[in-house]
Amino acid sequence: MQVTIQEQDGNMIATLEGRLDTAAAPETEKAMSPLLDCEGKDIIIDCTKMEYISSSGLRIFLSIMKNTNGSHVYIRNITDDVRAVFVMTGFIHLFEFK
Amino acid sequence: METELFLGFNLYAWITIVTVLGMFTTLLCTKLRTDLVFLAAIGVLFVTGVLDAKDAFSGFSSTSVIVIGVLFVVVAGLTHTGVLQWIVRHLLGQPNSYSKAVIRLMLPVAGLSSFLSNTTVVAMFVGIVKMWSKKLGISPSKLLIPLSYASGMGGVCTLIGTPPNLIISGLYADKTGETMNVLATAIPGLFCLFVGVLSIIAMRKLLPDRKAPESAFEATSEYTVELLVPSDNKYIGKTLDEAGLLHVRGGSLIEIYHFDDVPASISENEYLMGGDRLVYAGQIDEILELKKSHGLVSADHHIFSMSEVDKNRQLRTAFVTFGSSLIGKTIGGSTFEHDNNLTLVAVARSSQRINETPRQVVLQAGDTLLLECPPHLNVNTDRLSSQLHFFDSDQVVNIGSKTFISALIMIAMVVISALNVMPLLQCAFIAAAAMLVLRCCNAEQAMRAINWDILMIFAASVVLGLAIQQTGIAERLARGILDVCGTNPIVVMTAICFVGTFITEFISNTAAGAMFFPIMYEAAEKLGYEPYPFLIALMISVSSSFATPIGSPTHMLVYGPGGYRFSDFMRIGLLMNLIILAANILIVNIIYPLTPL
Repeated sequence: MQVTIQEQDGNMIATLEGRLDTAAAPETEKAMSPLLDCEGKDIIIDCTKMEYISSSGLRIFLSIMKNTNGSHVYIRNITDDVRAVFVMTGFIHLFEFK
Repeated sequence: METELFLGFNLYAWITIVTVLGMFTTLLCTKLRTDLVFLAAIGVLFVTGVLDAKDAFSGFSSTSVIVIGVLFVVVAGLTHTGVLQWIVRHLLGQPNSYSKAVIRLMLPVAGLSSFLSNTTVVAMFVGIVKMWSKKLGISPSKLLIPLSYASGMGGVCTLIGTPPNLIISGLYADKTGETMNVLATAIPGLFCLFVGVLSIIAMRKLLPDRKAPESAFEATSEYTVELLVPSDNKYIGKTLDEAGLLHVRGGSLIEIYHFDDVPASISENEYLMGGDRLVYAGQIDEILELKKSHGLVSADHHIFSMSEVDKNRQLRTAFVTFGSSLIGKTIGGSTFEHDNNLTLVAVARSSQRINETPRQVVLQAGDTLLLECPPHLNVNTDRLSSQLHFFDSDQVVNIGSKTFISALIMIAMVVISALNVMPLLQCAFIAAAAMLVLRCCNAEQAMRAINWDILMIFAASVVLGLAIQQTGIAERLARGILDVCGTNPIVVMTAICFVGTFITEFISNTAAGAMFFPIMYEAAEKLGYEPYPFLIALMISVSSSFATPIGSPTHMLVYGPGGYRFSDFMRIGLLMNLIILAANILIVNIIYPLTPL
């Protein structure tokens, strides 16, 4: 699992690549922790290359959404498989998608 | 071999005594099959030469044993046409006091037991009485002992009502050539029943006031329930604590699995997701409230929206039967739910908390399953009954013309035999044939109804009685009793009945009947009286085993459902034994006055 965080047009973009499964979760969580300090900027999680998301991965997404300092969290470009997980868990209604 | 060895008994007598004592010790101390132990005892008596081949196997051709076998078929006809169910439905009613409830219960049960097997009747009534007691607000433990007692007391009212009566009357017929009337014990039996009902009402304080085991079960943290979070649940994204799902009334969350089957930590900060399976242990009713309050569901597959769930699905409780193919398996690992359109909601195991999700529990016989079924599920009993026994199972047989026909056959059998138009055995054969020909039961049901184990025990009991008689044990014991009790026939009758009543607490009523017959017969003859009244008194006393749960199979049937302890039977049963003994001796001497030979 690879996580790249960069600032673009005043937004924080986190690009995820690979499988966000239970084993990869702790490292991913650590890699994404800088997002919590980006006061006021919108956070976009780019999932174009994310193949799978586990419950631990969803927990990270939710935790970021709940703990940011006034930032908006968006999810961008999820694959059909990942979308199915969001639908099943009801998380599709919790996040905003771009 | 006629030489006396010790205490006036010859070698054969001693072999018999040691065999009988060994047999009862084996039965009390081991779990060997009763029929096997009895047959082994017969084998010993045959091999050692106590009995010759003709005598050793005479039990198998004994009229009384054959009557019992044929009556199994007659009873199968009655059971399969719904006679019992009809009676149960129409007789119990809604009495407004405990005394009336006892009367409403004991009289029909006694009436039925006087014609049907006591065990069948009690087995039929146990579930119904439990529901009835709930409706009346009386603890089931206050009604289940009276139920079992009533079947015992009713059984003695006719010769066909209970095996010891048939055995004793059969032995009497063999000995004297005279057949007893099928209703010979009716009046003494009814009098004892009357006294018994009054005694139960008078001594009701001695009956324990226990909660039914299921309600105790429900009240403790015994049920393990799995609830699913549908995808449209309003608490998704909230923590368990925020959603109020961590600390729930009456139970605790023991496991949580997310959609990917990864167990999550049970902490207040754990997020709730659609597809989560929450496993709770605790009071079933409180936990199931979460379905209403939190929109959780019971399902074996993912639920995207609450609208998929049929709100009219009903819950039914069933326990895993002995011999069920589900034993040793998990519901999750089988296609059981899918095949039967049932959803497993919870599993409970007596006195044990299960810490696994219900679908992963390796089932054991006796586990209680809570299943969610479609609203009008007709539980396919043929397929399911070998695996599960539904507590609230509506195995209601259609009541119709067959019900009437089978009842008529039974009544005709009793009346014809009571009027001495035809001997009981012939009547029973005709009745059994009529049940089959008129399709009150089919051949398979009839054959399945014959309990061969019990027949073996009956046959062996007859042979043991014969050995006790032939070896002179009966005569010696009779003489011993006469030495102790003097020559007053009523004292002798009372003494033998007293011993019989207490012996029958530990051995089968039939065996007690077969063994005490020769002793009672010899004693009566030695006193110079006609043995008939003595034997009537004996019939009642060997069936009056009220003081231990092992005294009768019917007691064992109510023991678990009533939540009883061994001592509960002692407390009321010892007094009942004495009361019925007194009533028995009194009424028998009035109805059948002693006649010198």
